[in-house]
Amino acid sequence: MLPNIDRRRFLGVGALTATVPAFLAATGRALAADPKAAAGRVLVVVQLAGGNDGLNTLVPFRDDAYYKARPKLAVPRDKALKVTDDLALHPEAGGLRELLDAGHLAAVANVGYPNPNRSHFRATEIWETATPDKEVLTGWVGRYFDAECAGVASPMLGLQLGEKPALAFAHPKGRAVTLTNPSLFEWEPGAAKAMERLNAVRPTDNPQLDFLRRTGNDTLSLSRKIQDALKDTKTATEYAPFNFSQSLKVVAQMIAAEVPTRVYYVSLGGFDTHTAQAGRHAGLIQELSQGLRSFAADLKALGHLDRTLVMTFSEFGRRVAENQQQGTDHGTAGPMFLAGGAVKAGVHGDKPDLANLDEGDVKFKTDFRSVYAAVLKNWLAADPKPVLGGAFDAAPVLA
Amino acid sequence: MNLSVTWDARAASHLLSRTSFGGTLAQAEKLAARALPDAVAALIDVAKEAAPPPKPEWVKEPWVNTERVYPETTPMERMENHRKTGQRHAAERDQLRCWWLDHMARTAAPFREVVTLFWHGHFTTEARRATIAQALYEQNAKLRKHALGSFRELLGAVALDAAMMMYLNMEDSDAKKPNENFARELLELFTVGIGNYTERDIKEVARALTGWTLDAPPGTAKRPTVADAPRTFCRDGLVPTFVKDKHDAGAKSVLGKSGNFGANEVLDIVAAHPATARFVSAKLIAFFGAADPKNELRDRMASKFRQTNGDIATTLGVLLTAPEFYAKESRGTLIKSPVHLLVGTCRLLNLDATFTPSLAQVTAAMGQELFNPPNVKGWPGGRDWISAGTLAVRYHLPEALFDGKQPDGFEPLAGDRNFALPADEKARRDLLARIQAADRQRKESRKKDGFKVTFDAAKAADGTDPTDAGKLVRALVAKMLAVPPAADALAALTDAVTAVPAAERAKLACRLILTTPEYQLA
Repeated sequence: MLPNIDRRRFLGVGALTATVPAFLAATGRALAADPKAAAGRVLVVVQLAGGNDGLNTLVPFRDDAYYKARPKLAVPRDKALKVTDDLALHPEAGGLRELLDAGHLAAVANVGYPNPNRSHFRATEIWETATPDKEVLTGWVGRYFDAECAGVASPMLGLQLGEKPALAFAHPKGRAVTLTNPSLFEWEPGAAKAMERLNAVRPTDNPQLDFLRRTGNDTLSLSRKIQDALKDTKTATEYAPFNFSQSLKVVAQMIAAEVPTRVYYVSLGGFDTHTAQAGRHAGLIQELSQGLRSFAADLKALGHLDRTLVMTFSEFGRRVAENQQQGTDHGTAGPMFLAGGAVKAGVHGDKPDLANLDEGDVKFKTDFRSVYAAVLKNWLAADPKPVLGGAFDAAPVLA
Repeated sequence: MNLSVTWDARAASHLLSRTSFGGTLAQAEKLAARALPDAVAALIDVAKEAAPPPKPEWVKEPWVNTERVYPETTPMERMENHRKTGQRHAAERDQLRCWWLDHMARTAAPFREVVTLFWHGHFTTEARRATIAQALYEQNAKLRKHALGSFRELLGAVALDAAMMMYLNMEDSDAKKPNENFARELLELFTVGIGNYTERDIKEVARALTGWTLDAPPGTAKRPTVADAPRTFCRDGLVPTFVKDKHDAGAKSVLGKSGNFGANEVLDIVAAHPATARFVSAKLIAFFGAADPKNELRDRMASKFRQTNGDIATTLGVLLTAPEFYAKESRGTLIKSPVHLLVGTCRLLNLDATFTPSLAQVTAAMGQELFNPPNVKGWPGGRDWISAGTLAVRYHLPEALFDGKQPDGFEPLAGDRNFALPADEKARRDLLARIQAADRQRKESRKKDGFKVTFDAAKAADGTDPTDAGKLVRALVAKMLAVPPAADALAALTDAVTAVPAAERAKLACRLILTTPEYQLA
């Protein structure tokens, strides 16, 4: 915030470093543990942005139709990591297989929804709003916060590491914070005190000014909370030096510090592999797999894995047949992964039926909203119906 | 609401704060010396007469697609052309943002840019979907050209526009399969608004708009590309072109009118529709910020809009002279957009700023990336500008502007994994070390470009003598804040500023004022 010369003087300025006013102490209390959360459980949503190639992630490695459709891109049968008689993981998904073997990972095959949309933009909206048939401006997590967390004071029920706020959190009564990098909340202690003083709450007849002051106070309190969480929490494992892994590391620190956040959101982008897919997709699967393995190991060592559930999604899978550029085009259904506390480990659902396609694409078997329903009902102890705008049977993927 | 206007320097300052990214006390006093209608007329005249900024140097006439795929293009060449073109477009988009911000910060007619920014949020195009920078530039030039002109002409210019046609899929819409994307947004977001059309109207409008595509300028010799290449790889130019064979020439019925409509007839119908006058007026009121609880101001503006066949300047004149606009409920109640905050600060403090990509990216970090609104509805504005994350970025603004320092939090945590690492432990470690070194280097080179902003204490404080800290703070507060700060905040500011040597006072005062809640308001 301040260059050194100003900072020293700044820190010496009594007027701006006066005692913390009472209202800030009150804000601090509001940021203490979240008593209403179901047994302190948290959800970590992982977005695989761009459309992950589901067939090369959870591979139908016994199916000749798969090898016929993908002469160049198919995962070789002898390299695939077998998980059931019909399905295997990508060779770079060793971390996911370890999690599965340890009882911490469930895969749900062929997840989608009726009349699939193949535009990144619209399809992402559909998954994030959980509303395929019309455009709405609220996200499913935003609606969950609104329905279930009315009495909880935390301004960061949702915490996203990323640049563009996820639509999943969108709601007129927003309760989520998006940040590229938690260092954003670092400033010199003197400057923070000054800002606290300048944001002192004294109700006026200008509602926008009052709103800015309240948000200013929230921001300053969050900043302390986040800095404390990152400062005091040790990391028990090594994370790869890439953005997704490092984001998971921050999330693990927040979870271990028990900040009042119920849903975290992290993205791994680059899955739109129209050309030269093999190498890039392998790198992405490796990042996903190693990132989640480090994350689970870290939380386990810190004693927080049991209260953490990870759920991955991608806006669509890819076309069954590879294209002319060693890539794949936009498709439809794909797998979701659930990792952590209460999963029913293993693969749920059958292998994709490649003999029975819809215009060259896999037909979905499980509606993604029934996976959301399972997460809401079985994990977050919330009623899925008002959040999802309809009755969906919870998929039997969680204990 | 008290609806009599006291037209004084404070009212003029309010007008400048909403229309011109803010103004100095001297500017406000000069404006207040004239009668209100004359002052607003002068503001509009200056904006109307302003010359457009010179084109960015990378704009080409005509535009050339450097990633077309011909029968003899090898897959390697295709990939390489695609990669290089994508990189160039990304660099040009960065330059485009810098170009516009620079013009906003320097122009003598800022109102023209503020209105252009309004239309940019109304007739949206997202750079993440329409990636060609030149098309985005051309759209921006049209928005500026018609910003204070006729709504019908503006609508025509942006409907048949390369960026818009690519963005909302009009480019390939033909009679066999009319694309409804543009038709839907035209009715829902650009003209009549929700509740004033049916799904049937959308289908009929889509039919009327079929046949338009993008092509090279007429008479250009064209080299055939491979058959069935995606648009990106076969587009010949950015000139909206009518292809009669692809147009549905049959009878249509749109918003109660029938005929063998084409694009022009449909645009005439929607532009003249009474709901459009109300819809556009309400959006202008929200953008410029006036309390209008009973929609009376909206209806007066809409009526003027219709009387003048959609003359934007005259409609805005009603808004900017309206008692509602100057009422107490409208003063200091508009949350500044990130662009307003950045440009306004540069202008108000007379900062000598070079708009580098890092500086342009500051508005994106605050939630407003120019040429890339979050979706087709544009930036919602108001309280949506403010969350803990974006407010934290606003708190870092003084660092960027006064210290030329890139706050760490503006950068992602690390780079991306672009390929799988080898299983062998040593090979993996070596490669990781190389990747991390390259990341560091990239980060440093980005920062080298960094922030090139110079703060001059005398210029920022308009020459106010810093010896009397109280006087200096009062002068800066009067100039910078639309809402007077509370007495204890003012006292705290004065104490802090008094404690540093005179030479450093203006900078510290500006630094603190920038982080006040009051400074976020216009």
